[in-house]
Amino acid sequence: MRFGPLLAAEFRKTATLPAAWAGVAVALLGSAGITVLNAISARAAIAAGHPELRAFTSVFQTGYAAAPLGTVGAIVIGVVAIGSEYTSNNADAGGGRQVTTTLAAIPHRTGLLAAKALTVVLLAVTTAALTIPACVGIAALVIGDATRETVTLDEALTRSLGAALYWTLMGLIAFAVTVVTRSGMFPLIALIANSSLVSVSLLLTRLTPLAFWLPDMAGRRLFGGLSTVEGGLDAGAGAIVMAAWTLALLATAATVFSRRDA
Amino acid sequence: MTIAVRLRNVTAAELSKLGTLPTAIVAAAGTVLAAGGIAAALAANPATQRSSAVAVTAQTIPYVQVGLILLGILPVAHEYAGGQLRTTLMAVPDRGLLVAAKTIAVTIAAALTGTVTVAVGRAVAALTRHTAGVRRGEAGVLLDAAGYLVLSALLAHAVALLVRNLTAALVAMLGLVLIVSPLLASVSEGARWLPDRAAAQLYDPTDTVLTAGTGTLVAVAWTTVIAGIATVQFIHRDA
Amino acid sequence: MLVIEQLVKRRGGRTVLDRVGFAARPGRVTAFLGPNGAGKSSTLRILLGLDRADGGRALVDGRPYRSLRDPLRAVGSMLEGSGAHRSRTARNHLAWVARSNAIPSRRIDEVLHQVGLAGEARVRAGRYSLGMGQRLGLAAALLGEPPALVLDEPVNGLDPDGMRLVRGLLRGHADGGGTVLLSSHLMSEVAGVADDLVIIDAGRVVAAGTLTEVTAGHESLEDAFFALIGGNGETR
Repeated sequence: MRFGPLLAAEFRKTATLPAAWAGVAVALLGSAGITVLNAISARAAIAAGHPELRAFTSVFQTGYAAAPLGTVGAIVIGVVAIGSEYTSNNADAGGGRQVTTTLAAIPHRTGLLAAKALTVVLLAVTTAALTIPACVGIAALVIGDATRETVTLDEALTRSLGAALYWTLMGLIAFAVTVVTRSGMFPLIALIANSSLVSVSLLLTRLTPLAFWLPDMAGRRLFGGLSTVEGGLDAGAGAIVMAAWTLALLATAATVFSRRDA
Repeated sequence: MTIAVRLRNVTAAELSKLGTLPTAIVAAAGTVLAAGGIAAALAANPATQRSSAVAVTAQTIPYVQVGLILLGILPVAHEYAGGQLRTTLMAVPDRGLLVAAKTIAVTIAAALTGTVTVAVGRAVAALTRHTAGVRRGEAGVLLDAAGYLVLSALLAHAVALLVRNLTAALVAMLGLVLIVSPLLASVSEGARWLPDRAAAQLYDPTDTVLTAGTGTLVAVAWTTVIAGIATVQFIHRDA
Repeated sequence: MLVIEQLVKRRGGRTVLDRVGFAARPGRVTAFLGPNGAGKSSTLRILLGLDRADGGRALVDGRPYRSLRDPLRAVGSMLEGSGAHRSRTARNHLAWVARSNAIPSRRIDEVLHQVGLAGEARVRAGRYSLGMGQRLGLAAALLGEPPALVLDEPVNGLDPDGMRLVRGLLRGHADGGGTVLLSSHLMSEVAGVADDLVIIDAGRVVAAGTLTEVTAGHESLEDAFFALIGGNGETR
């Protein structure tokens, strides 16, 4: 089976899942909403003559601050891309699971996973391409030229690409874990929690510097100036470590998926 | 057959459902285990050496609330995974009674899990520090923390009633409590009126406007409104 | 006795049930026949309180299902499959059902034996075959020892042994004075077990009466069926 049609089929399948669009919506609309609030607050602080009360007031930084929500969206996309195969329909629909149909149509399992993984990448990148400019645009609209932009274009581009890369890798990690667990529920909970303030990884970094090698901690610096925690790897090395983790998890997922019963 | 008897029967059935659902058992047990692990990690952190074991336990609450949120969502959400809702409605066609019984079951399960979670967290924190002995007044703080966990579960239950889908309820609750709420709190004072921040006054009373009591009321109001809307829909909609 | 009176149901602009009316009497097996999409399940769902009718009413011994205090002791029903959550065992499923209607727990073992699931009681419902799921659904219907049974496609997916079991169960229930209402596609099954027949097509009752009355003048039940629905067996 040629990879082109396979990829097209899998992309279409995932892109027609309401849950996948919900993931995109969480990233897009959630970030937009938070940006609006951040921007209003920033403008109020500037107007009141106390810009130093807020951590940042530049347009780009205000738009960029909602990046954490994009991670949640990417996680949802990754989980749903494979989790949807395993949700059993209720008895009305015959009680079957989609995975049976999928594997009957596409018995080559590694190719199937590759197509799905690529779909996750495409959706995550698209989400980033829509969300980050939209949020910066909203911030620009609200704050206007009330403040000087402190972030250069180069830096803005780097940090945007960094966010896109982080989201994509997180989405792939969520995907790989769900391939193994089949049910998306626990990966969803664990990964969303871990990318928020109740991050177990962050907790571990306070106990041992080894924790900085965990995928989400390693990739922290991809967000540029957003993190304030000392220690750990810088952006470039961190990105490589996070990518290595992603590849290892994907390889594990592919092995498990190829060997076990459907 | 009085309402009280029927409520008792249906609540017992709902508790039976929860106790025989593997995911719920894992959620409850996992939360308790996580409490131990996180308490140990927090207590071992040199930066918290000066805080008491109870203070460390309070720091575990944001982490372990995740498990209670799942526990609160499951009773409603698992009915919609397959055809069980039909069976439930045929056994209990009085939908208001059904929602009431499910809510009581969630409260009981959350209270049990929350209490054990907090107790284990406290014990492990003390063990990690090699301190023993319970100081006076501690029990109150710990119970308040457990109370917050119960409120979290009930809010999650209300959201699940509204959206009727496990994943959607999870993303909504986790998104609200873990991401949106802290982000809003750093931006605006109005964030104190969010249900989770209001309820948090129970174990972390740092707010200037709301107290533990009024915070609880705010959280209960949110929960009641959401659950109320959802229940009215549930009663009138086709199954 | 189960009474359906002038039932009307609209769904998205379509009239799914158009003044459907019939009765299922005690001591008799009433079979509800019709093509796919004719309105059989819609009727049964309204009878069992799952959906609301836009007109007319469906009564169980003179009362709507939703007003029954312990409905499983009045009507035992099986709509599709096991009706159980996939990660719960059969025994645990029956346990909560029994508890909700204050049915004594000894009934759980009794019905499991009755439907032949005693050996698989501790297996998760998600692992059940189609036939086993049907048996579990049947077991749940029998739990409360109800005078009335309402079953939607009860022999769907059953092996010959299971079919014989169901036939015997239904016949025995009716012969003992109970009411049985079953909907089915399988003419052969229906012909062997039914006393009364109700044929529905496109939301309207096209024939109702005893088996003999409805099939009078036709070679077989199947012939009668196709004649009555105008030879139009298309699914909707």
